[in-house]
Amino acid sequence: MSPEKPHSEPRALISSTAERLAAIVEAAEHAAAKVIDDAEEHARGQIEEANARADRIVAERLRTLADELDPPAARPRPSHLEAVTPDPAPEQAAGGTRSRSAGARLLATQMAVSGSSREEIEERLRSGFEIEDTSEILDAILGPED
Amino acid sequence: MNLTDLQALEERYLMRTYRRAPVEFVRGEGALLWDAGGREYLDFLAGISVCSVGHCNPDVVEAVREQASRLIHTSNLFYTEPMVRLAERLAASSLGGRVFFANSGTEANECAIKLARKHAHRRGVDSPQIVSFERDFHGRTYGALAATPSLAENADLGPMLPGFRSVPFDDAAALREAVGESTAAVLIEPIQGESGVYAISDETLLAAREACDEVGALLVFDEIQTGLGRTGSLWAYEQTPVRPDVLTSAKALGGGMPIGACIAGPGAGEVLEPGDHGSTFAGGPVACAAALAVLEIVDDATLLRRVRELGADLRQRLLGIEGVRAVRGRGLMLGVALEGGIDATALGADLLDRGLVVNVPEPGTLRLLPPLTVDSAQIEHAAATIEAALLSFGER
Repeated sequence: MSPEKPHSEPRALISSTAERLAAIVEAAEHAAAKVIDDAEEHARGQIEEANARADRIVAERLRTLADELDPPAARPRPSHLEAVTPDPAPEQAAGGTRSRSAGARLLATQMAVSGSSREEIEERLRSGFEIEDTSEILDAILGPED
Repeated sequence: MNLTDLQALEERYLMRTYRRAPVEFVRGEGALLWDAGGREYLDFLAGISVCSVGHCNPDVVEAVREQASRLIHTSNLFYTEPMVRLAERLAASSLGGRVFFANSGTEANECAIKLARKHAHRRGVDSPQIVSFERDFHGRTYGALAATPSLAENADLGPMLPGFRSVPFDDAAALREAVGESTAAVLIEPIQGESGVYAISDETLLAAREACDEVGALLVFDEIQTGLGRTGSLWAYEQTPVRPDVLTSAKALGGGMPIGACIAGPGAGEVLEPGDHGSTFAGGPVACAAALAVLEIVDDATLLRRVRELGADLRQRLLGIEGVRAVRGRGLMLGVALEGGIDATALGADLLDRGLVVNVPEPGTLRLLPPLTVDSAQIEHAAATIEAALLSFGER
């Protein structure tokens, strides 16, 4: 038995254990990286799908709301605002052209969404459209005055 | 280096494209500017409606500083977060579609013109036309220039781009007459800025919308000066009876950093495809970070209401001054029409001497575009300064 032997065996054992540990760690890291990659890919897919869905919803809402003279859909609508009832058929006569009345409604709706007060909208309707009784439009958008 | 030195270097090295006032500004804060001699000025021009959140707004400065310390430029071959976040915010606050970034207002309009032409070709139009109003100002690059009738008349700069025509300002009948099957777009400043602050009537806007709808053309609003709270709503179209298909923005968007944007609604936003348009610098992270900071400030109901209130206050004060014939515009975008015989250019120079910075866009008109963060004492001071200057003019 050489004097070195008692020392070399444990060293070999340590070396072998270290190699095995390194292999285990590497395998674990590889597995973790794959899990992360898979999760990221899955998340990206979900984000893309959600974005596409959001785009479709926004586009659809905008088309509908524009037809109904409602505010831009992408901007959060203040909770006190109510949807504007679409103008009846006569408003869309003559090849679907907008009437002054429809324009007044869109003006009032856009002003309300942008934060204008009832008084400001009323003043603008009177000056721009010479509408004496603005209550019908204002009530439809902002709700009846208390 | 003093002002005389600067003027000598300008004379030697700069192209003679500007007539500058003899002042060197070295510092700004809020609505105030200081010249090299330490004199304070009240700025009611805001870099032509660029510094709407005030000079060196701390939030904008911090956004620029923070972004510039991390990443300044990569090109549009890669993603950067400020760009996509800004696109989302602009689309969500306006037409809901898609955004193309540019470096300036005129470039934003170039995008709108290109988009409109391609949109028209898809309708089967061979020679698409863009219709604009006389006295409009849409920019100085060749597409935007062609839509700017007063500048397009300069034969020395010809030939102009074909496919543009103009109609008399605010003439609904002429506009209806001009719009036909070959029309790609009607390009409108809802309130003309450079020509003297003239708002287009509701009747004409409705006529433009109807005419565009009838032939399938796009209604494009140039909101480069009117947008981002200047008129008391985030976008000027929100105070009109129409909604455009496309709108362009710039000036105030970057808080002083150069950036422009063409925002197209859901349909029009799908027109441009890879290879159709592009820009090396546009949508860069520093300019977009600045713009996000600006939107955080101006897309605020309290600030916008304040703009309307301060604008109404300024208008009333101005109308009470002898020598003021009328006040045009909306919010804090005002044109002050002077009584006949008053030399607006001389008045503007006199106001600068008195420490008030304004602009003279046409003979007989002062244009006031203060920062939206101006306070009521500054509004009062500006009106008092204009009154004192007009009084001294009357005594001459």
